[in-house]
Amino acid sequence: MKYQMLCRPAATAIRFQLEQGEGITCEVGAMIAMSTGLTVNTTSKSRGGSGGIIKGLKRMFSGENFFLNHFTAQQSNQSLLIGPAMMGDCVHHTLTGGTMIVQGTSWLASTGNIEIDTSWQGFSSALFSGESMFWVKCSGAGDLFLSSYGAIYPVQVNGEYTVDTGHIVAFEDTLQFRIGKAGKSLIGSFLGGEGLVCKFQGQGTLYCQSHNPPSFGKLLGPKLRPR
Amino acid sequence: MEAEIRNRPAFANLIVNLQAGEKIVAEADAMASMSSSIEMSTRWNGSVFSALARRYLGSESMFVNEFTTSSTGHVVLTQPFPGDMACIELQGNTMFLQPGAFIACEPSVNLGLGWAGWRSYFGGEGLFRLKVSGKGRVWFGAYGAIFTRDIQDEYIVDTGHLVAYEPSINIRLGLAGGIFSSFFGGEGLVTRVKGPGKIYMQSRSFDGLAAWTNSHLY
Amino acid sequence: MSATLEHEISLRPDFSLLTVKLQSGQRVHAEPSAMAAMSPTLDMKAGLKGGALKSLGRMFGGESMIVNTFTAARGAGEVVFAPGHLGDTQHYHLSGGSLMLQRGAFMAHSDGVEVTGKWQGAKGFFSGEGLVLLKASGQGDIFFNSYGAVLQIDVSGDFMVDTGYIVAFEDTLMYNVTTLPGLRGGGFKRLFFSGEGLVCRFQGQGKLWIQTRYAAPYLSWIHQFRPTKNN
Repeated sequence: MKYQMLCRPAATAIRFQLEQGEGITCEVGAMIAMSTGLTVNTTSKSRGGSGGIIKGLKRMFSGENFFLNHFTAQQSNQSLLIGPAMMGDCVHHTLTGGTMIVQGTSWLASTGNIEIDTSWQGFSSALFSGESMFWVKCSGAGDLFLSSYGAIYPVQVNGEYTVDTGHIVAFEDTLQFRIGKAGKSLIGSFLGGEGLVCKFQGQGTLYCQSHNPPSFGKLLGPKLRPR
Repeated sequence: MEAEIRNRPAFANLIVNLQAGEKIVAEADAMASMSSSIEMSTRWNGSVFSALARRYLGSESMFVNEFTTSSTGHVVLTQPFPGDMACIELQGNTMFLQPGAFIACEPSVNLGLGWAGWRSYFGGEGLFRLKVSGKGRVWFGAYGAIFTRDIQDEYIVDTGHLVAYEPSINIRLGLAGGIFSSFFGGEGLVTRVKGPGKIYMQSRSFDGLAAWTNSHLY
Repeated sequence: MSATLEHEISLRPDFSLLTVKLQSGQRVHAEPSAMAAMSPTLDMKAGLKGGALKSLGRMFGGESMIVNTFTAARGAGEVVFAPGHLGDTQHYHLSGGSLMLQRGAFMAHSDGVEVTGKWQGAKGFFSGEGLVLLKASGQGDIFFNSYGAVLQIDVSGDFMVDTGYIVAFEDTLMYNVTTLPGLRGGGFKRLFFSGEGLVCRFQGQGKLWIQTRYAAPYLSWIHQFRPTKNN
């Protein structure tokens, strides 16, 4: 399977080229365009493993449970163009047996024997200032495709690194983390606009996004028609 | 102090590499991520009156954050909306910025509030404009891509598309067409700029985004 | 591609800007609120373009009834246009054929071009808030926007696109809207506004422009930030 990133970093789309028998699993709704020799079916869990679904798990946009589209090429040289819901970038990450914790709306697609588990509860949602975020644990071997709001930049953590909680896209589970305040004093942190931050420790890859949706929403919201 | 604007113009962000003792001043809520060696402290931005005026009439926060380190590290600064960033190096001169455009500056730059005149109020930008002066770099941003125009005589700009301008530019509010035309034509009040001088414009306007969004909402 | 109006599309592909340079006496017609800047030698007038019928047709297509007409009344000058959202702008020159255009994509056109929402086969084609197509014909220039980035596809044979991502296509293409078995019409596309999970199958030869994002997920997401009526 070949892939190509197009239109980076503002409205990135991914074009896949699949040979007969090859397949890819995508977030439901991600398909933009495709060749006619691809079949698609929908499941509520990952193909590879047990992958649990938490009842009542809400997605940020639609309140749907977490559903997946599996595309399979019935002929050779089939192409599939996918894109995420929000403006922003995409990145490819190769998993070789390890585990990546991915922000729920940032999981876009994966291949191979990657298990997608939506039951990960490492971050208590109370710590994320009321946002209904959920996290997806991806493990196994294969290609992982992530999306972001904003541009994506990777950080190879070796020691310690601090990220505003709204800017985390994904991180390897070899990293430890703790939620804390950004500045020297708690009051300073809140008044200075930085709420809570996540301090990562150890060694591993961390993907950050340059922008965060709630800041944008809170600025634009007051200018909109009341509901 | 090394600083680089990345990912222009769609999701521009500023990565600042700090050495021991160096400091950068940034708008509250601008920090996306930073090395653990960076210390962040919050300071009240200017005198009580000007800070409050800016908060209620402009759109800058009352607080700014200062980032510094005793060793070495970087901080990534961003803005709330998608868009571009630009840098101006002041050398004793002054620039006026529209509210909401300020992102960061070197500590040697003076941040103040300037009176934009009663006739700029109805453009939705508030009574004030941010005045930056002194010596040092200022980083500002906008929703959209940033581009410049050298104005000789007169030019008409939709108010939401003006980001920054030199003090030699004269700005005046007016109607786009005749009274009837403006009201129905979607172009409301516009800003007439008179040169000579340089203006910074943005290729989108936040009010334009709000209007477009509203036209699609129930 | 030839053009009637001298123009430049800059700052592509994400926050593109259209600059039209008018000769003395020349005109350009644009979506209301599209103007970002203009020379003072130009006059701007709002009005019903092309008579009531064609304007009503355009209103059916989702465009507002009023377009602004910019005329270089006091000498040559320029006018700069931009949409409200992030995206790219394309130019297409019509010389006898037609261009089908998603509502909301229209930005500006020159004299000699008619844009209408009422054309044979238009009504009832797509349900609810779904894709409504405008038809642009005549001799002249038309400028349209994409939400997100735009990809030009030279269709030769068979190609399937989710209807929300269609920006424009030449009328030499045949098209057929269906649902795709197995493609659940849900996820971030089944929302507040629409996203039926419909796909359009194009056949034949012709150019097709698709966008890499779709406005409905953004509109659904921004809803939570709207002020409530009691505020």
